[in-house]
Amino acid sequence: MVIYRETDCKFLAEAGREHLYFTAVRQDEHEILPNRQCQLTSVEILNTPKKVPMSQPLAIAPKRKIFLVGNPNVGKSVLFNALTGAYTTVSNYPGTSVEISRGEASIAGTTYEVLDTPGMYGLQPMTEEERVSQRILLQEEAFAVIHVIDARNLERMLPMTVQLIEAGLPLILVVNIIDEAERMGIAIDVELLQQRLTIPVIAAATAHKRGLDEIRTAISTFAGGRQPAYAYAPDLERDILRLAVQLHGDYRVDRRALALLFLLRDEETTALVQRIEGESAAAIAETAREIIFSYRSDLHLRLSMERKRICSDLLAGVVSTSPRQGRTWGERLSAMTMNPWTGVPILLAVLYFGLYQFVGIFGAGTIVGLLEGDLFSDIINPWFISTADQFIPWLWLHELLVGEYGILTLAVRYAVALVMPIVGTFFVAFSILEDSGYFPRLAMLVDRIFKAIGLNGRAVIPMVLGFGCDTMATMVTRTLETTRERVIATVLLALAIPCSAQLGVILALLSGVPGALLIWTVVMSLIFLLVGFLTARLLPGERPMFYMEIPPLRLPQWRNVVVKTLTRMQWYFFEIFPLFILASIVLWAGKMTGALESLVRFLAPGMTLLGLPKDVAAVFVFGFFRRDFGAAGLFDMNEQGLLTPVQLTVAAVTLTLFVPCVAQFLMMKKERGWKTALIIFAAVTATAFSVGWLLNIALLSLGWLA
Amino acid sequence: MKCAFCGKEIDEKQVGQSERCGQCPGGCRKVHCPQCGYANPVVPNFLKRFIKSEDDHKE
Repeated sequence: MVIYRETDCKFLAEAGREHLYFTAVRQDEHEILPNRQCQLTSVEILNTPKKVPMSQPLAIAPKRKIFLVGNPNVGKSVLFNALTGAYTTVSNYPGTSVEISRGEASIAGTTYEVLDTPGMYGLQPMTEEERVSQRILLQEEAFAVIHVIDARNLERMLPMTVQLIEAGLPLILVVNIIDEAERMGIAIDVELLQQRLTIPVIAAATAHKRGLDEIRTAISTFAGGRQPAYAYAPDLERDILRLAVQLHGDYRVDRRALALLFLLRDEETTALVQRIEGESAAAIAETAREIIFSYRSDLHLRLSMERKRICSDLLAGVVSTSPRQGRTWGERLSAMTMNPWTGVPILLAVLYFGLYQFVGIFGAGTIVGLLEGDLFSDIINPWFISTADQFIPWLWLHELLVGEYGILTLAVRYAVALVMPIVGTFFVAFSILEDSGYFPRLAMLVDRIFKAIGLNGRAVIPMVLGFGCDTMATMVTRTLETTRERVIATVLLALAIPCSAQLGVILALLSGVPGALLIWTVVMSLIFLLVGFLTARLLPGERPMFYMEIPPLRLPQWRNVVVKTLTRMQWYFFEIFPLFILASIVLWAGKMTGALESLVRFLAPGMTLLGLPKDVAAVFVFGFFRRDFGAAGLFDMNEQGLLTPVQLTVAAVTLTLFVPCVAQFLMMKKERGWKTALIIFAAVTATAFSVGWLLNIALLSLGWLA
Repeated sequence: MKCAFCGKEIDEKQVGQSERCGQCPGGCRKVHCPQCGYANPVVPNFLKRFIKSEDDHKE
């Protein structure tokens, strides 16, 4: 194999041997650059961009490398093992902790080095593993890149094939797990796909050794070569070209693909371009910035849509599903969950049966009644108290263990008898919805509503997580694209998203008063929308688009549900138990020193304004320790018959809206800074008490819940 | 593990400390998906064997 340096090739080009010039630089040149396209079509000699001086006219080619790439769980490793046999090594990719498997395959008398790359979803990496795969593809020389895809999901996986072709990589496509696809009634016309892609395409089921001979044959007869990239819309092509022509360095992959990755702000590509282009890098970055700025809508979305269009064209007539299979029941239900006309009733049904009936009535009503009422109040706590009366003469210790805020009589009872059944049933419902794949559909459903409050469907993730724990959800707001969205989501989490235990206790409390739960739901929904709407108007900024690939809807696997529920309950119990004990000790200390009484007295005028007994102030103090602790305190007061229906409703609304717990406040400070955290704290407190005050007046004057 | 929200594969060993909120006593028991940010619970070893293997073709 003879390889020439670019300058040497230019010399040859000037001597009238243009085809050599284009042969040698074709790895680097953009195929649609002016005046060169016609030359490139005739090129077929070289598949390595490595250049050596003409003074070394002949170079022995190194061992041919084959890279296996593709999404996780498509059977790459099975193919790797089939090709390489037992002689493989596993080592960390240089400079990383990512393991790469290497082996040798002897095919038709030639030895190849085979690399099993970590799973990746596209050329733009999100994880360390994907970064390694990208680095291998973009910076190492391959004889062939075998892209392994799942036959059951061609539409989802082909965009990456399009990207690999776009990068100018020598590609072989393996449509794996074809046996499963056939069982599902999916027929794939591999010949037609091969004609359209103009690369070798092999149908395989590597786990059952089907297609392995064809893959070996494809490798041994592989001519390499690069396929023309698929064209995007003219405006996109113009912008990509505008950037690509500024890349003059020596790159292993197509400049058009590099330009695209640069526009998508890929870190590796940005670093590579800066390193290779040197002083020109600043001008390239400026061009990229102008182009990105010109796309008001999301460039990722635009490219994703373009690739989807290309793949739809490529797959037209390639994939057919037997009429018997048609559109499955799951697919129909999936579409219904995202359609506003059917999705909203489905959401309401989920909330009614999942939250109200299962968590509120069954968990917080029946199970809490058994544990808290029958077991703790009637048996365990009286035993604790009588034992302490007999053996503990010291008042302070007696109070600490079995007093009003005692560790055994309050903290253990709250944690085990009140909160655990509620979060347990909540986590069962949550895990069922999670395992069925409902949450991403919920994100699509509420995307339109969320846009009105300055968010998009992506914000469903922190909101859904907020029902588990608002502190962790506040941290997750960092995954939202803009600062504006992060602030809005943080405000809404602090104000209007109750955590699971708080929600469960409130459902249980209010379901006993006809109409109270409806009022609470309406008030909370209105506040959520109104505050979101106002915050979005107050904070200027971009409104990014939301799109995501929707995983299949499926029947929840009971084992997954049980395991996830137990895992979450274990996590929750480990978290709450020490904190409940700590809160109990702090409250005991407050009681013994009189500090708690002073604090309650300080808050008493506020309680009076809300129309609540002054003792409810203690519940708000509890709530600042933990939201669920506060809700449990309210539950206790109601059990003792200290609250009227109006007071209960006002207290529940105010407590739900009331300031976040200490941990959430600290997380707000960490994520948004002191200033924003304090503003949110003050705004949330003011909103909670204002709404509570107005609600009390409204309920009393209208005579509702009287 | 597979992200319970977006369905994409996550290597829990690769998820860095920065993605953890650090508020839970006893350490973090969540894996935040690098693709979508969703917090997936880390299943304890004694429960892992009960999770159904979904695909025989897995790597």
